[in-house]
Amino acid sequence: MGCESCASGTCSLEKKDGLPPGMLEQYRLSQSRADGTLIWLEVQRDAAGTPRLAEVSREILGHVKAMDDSRVYGVVFGHNELKPLYGEIFSLGVETLYEVHDRRLIPFQPEAYAESIAQIAVRVEPAAILLGATPRGRELGPRVAALLDTGLTADCTGLAVEGRILRMTRPAFGGNLLATIECTGFPQMATIRPGTFPLPAPQPDAEGTVIYWQYCGNSFKDIVASRPVTVGADQDITKAKVLVALGAGVKRSSIPIAESVARKLGGTVACSRKLVELGWFPASRQVGQSGKNVAPDIYLAFGISGSVQHLAGITAAKRIIAVNRDPGAQIGEVTDELIVGDADAILAELDKTL
Amino acid sequence: MRFVVAVKQVPDTTLIRVDEHGSLIRQGIPAILDPYAEHALEAVLGLKKPGDTVTVVTMGPPQAEAVLRRCLEIGADEAYLLADAAFAGADVHATAKTLSVFVKRVVPDATLIICGKQAADGDTGEVPAELAQMLGISQFCYVTQLKRNGDGFLVTQDYGDEQRDCRVPAGSVLSVAEGDLNRRLPSIKRYLEATALPITVLNRVQLMLGAYSVGLKGSRTKIVESHAVRTVRTGKIFDGTDPVKAAAHLKEML
Repeated sequence: MGCESCASGTCSLEKKDGLPPGMLEQYRLSQSRADGTLIWLEVQRDAAGTPRLAEVSREILGHVKAMDDSRVYGVVFGHNELKPLYGEIFSLGVETLYEVHDRRLIPFQPEAYAESIAQIAVRVEPAAILLGATPRGRELGPRVAALLDTGLTADCTGLAVEGRILRMTRPAFGGNLLATIECTGFPQMATIRPGTFPLPAPQPDAEGTVIYWQYCGNSFKDIVASRPVTVGADQDITKAKVLVALGAGVKRSSIPIAESVARKLGGTVACSRKLVELGWFPASRQVGQSGKNVAPDIYLAFGISGSVQHLAGITAAKRIIAVNRDPGAQIGEVTDELIVGDADAILAELDKTL
Repeated sequence: MRFVVAVKQVPDTTLIRVDEHGSLIRQGIPAILDPYAEHALEAVLGLKKPGDTVTVVTMGPPQAEAVLRRCLEIGADEAYLLADAAFAGADVHATAKTLSVFVKRVVPDATLIICGKQAADGDTGEVPAELAQMLGISQFCYVTQLKRNGDGFLVTQDYGDEQRDCRVPAGSVLSVAEGDLNRRLPSIKRYLEATALPITVLNRVQLMLGAYSVGLKGSRTKIVESHAVRTVRTGKIFDGTDPVKAAAHLKEML
């Protein structure tokens, strides 16, 4: 036991921490006290400036609530216009909501947002900080991670907890490999790919606390002009039940035909990365790892050879039918049926018969 | 003015195929200059005026010299290769750390630091923002247009649901997305000159970086396991040489 230089004998020479035996273990003094989850709630604004909680933020809240019963903190940026959102935010499981209350933070300001989130994280000591992997979240996440000197896993498609340890899964190499990643310290950070988790059902009687937070820095961008781009519901490829997808194997003149087919089938038109690079389609139409993951009931691929990146975006499709001139096209490995023939001609013919 | 472009050597991912067990076939896949980085370099070269310097930098194995040579052929003026066995296995944090130290030590006078939107192999797109924070400067991601505006620059950013124009102060990090950027005609004379330009190789000690700041040891994330995934489909093949028959068959399946 002890060195017998004192009467109590409770101290120990082997223990270098100078604490009474058992105290370290009992009070877990050597471990991080980090606990709970801090979530950046992305607020999207329409042309009139009316705020709306981003879908991915709701999905994350739902999953965190189901996965873990530790405390949930939310962070939002804006001003008085956010008040109507409080009810919804609490109904989704947020217990403490930090609102960084500043008119200048209504437009997206990655530097100021990151500084505020990092300050709040120092205050609440969360075990995890989660963001949606939207363009804004992907820009904000690494900035926060650098400020807190911690690790960040991008574009997660799975999230599980073991105690306080987050196990994050993300596809690598075009979805052929699923890697499970852990952070080496606290807080653990991840951005979550939209559409990964189901939308939760709100609990209407939930209550919570709002804390106004003051941003004291001066990192604002000089924004000259801002134009909202409205994507209609009929154009959102992630929600469409039928997708007519075009690749480099079709002529440009087939685009209106594909649009007509899609309209008749009640779906919309998507494309491969090549056509975005050619400038035929906006990036919002692109399917694949650098585009969007889609989950239609029927995916009709015309003239798409099927790079692994493209195939990674369509794994959730219920049925995949491809038309391609090459019977050995790689897309044949994932299709329910591969029709070998001229994509342009078959598309035109299909348009006539529908 | 000095423009620094961070580039990456990636396997030509459009050629990657999977074998019957679902593992990647990596043999024979050529390493190329990341297309997003090439796009970023093109955007900068379109801005360049006489007297400006375009510096390219990459962190990678010694073979990555090939992509720097390609950058010089496209029109960059000088190239740096950050190569060290200790840099291997770096995650976003360690990569950004190494690049930030390079910028501080070698090109502290950088007017703009430009990256691609993401790399074609990793697809995370996080290094630019983490680099910007480590350097304590502002960032402008998803840039689709880049113009000079007096002494500064004017960019258009595309966030999907919003496009906005911002004034960019000197000493910022940009990440460039696909878009209508400043394309130029390649020059054969330039191509020939490039073979004579030197590529400076810097290792960890020359950058004065600690062994625990870089590579696997400096990483803040670790991969605990990875497994192959594969979706199995019926994979029927239909002969569609006659478009009328094929279209009728297709209609039946809908």
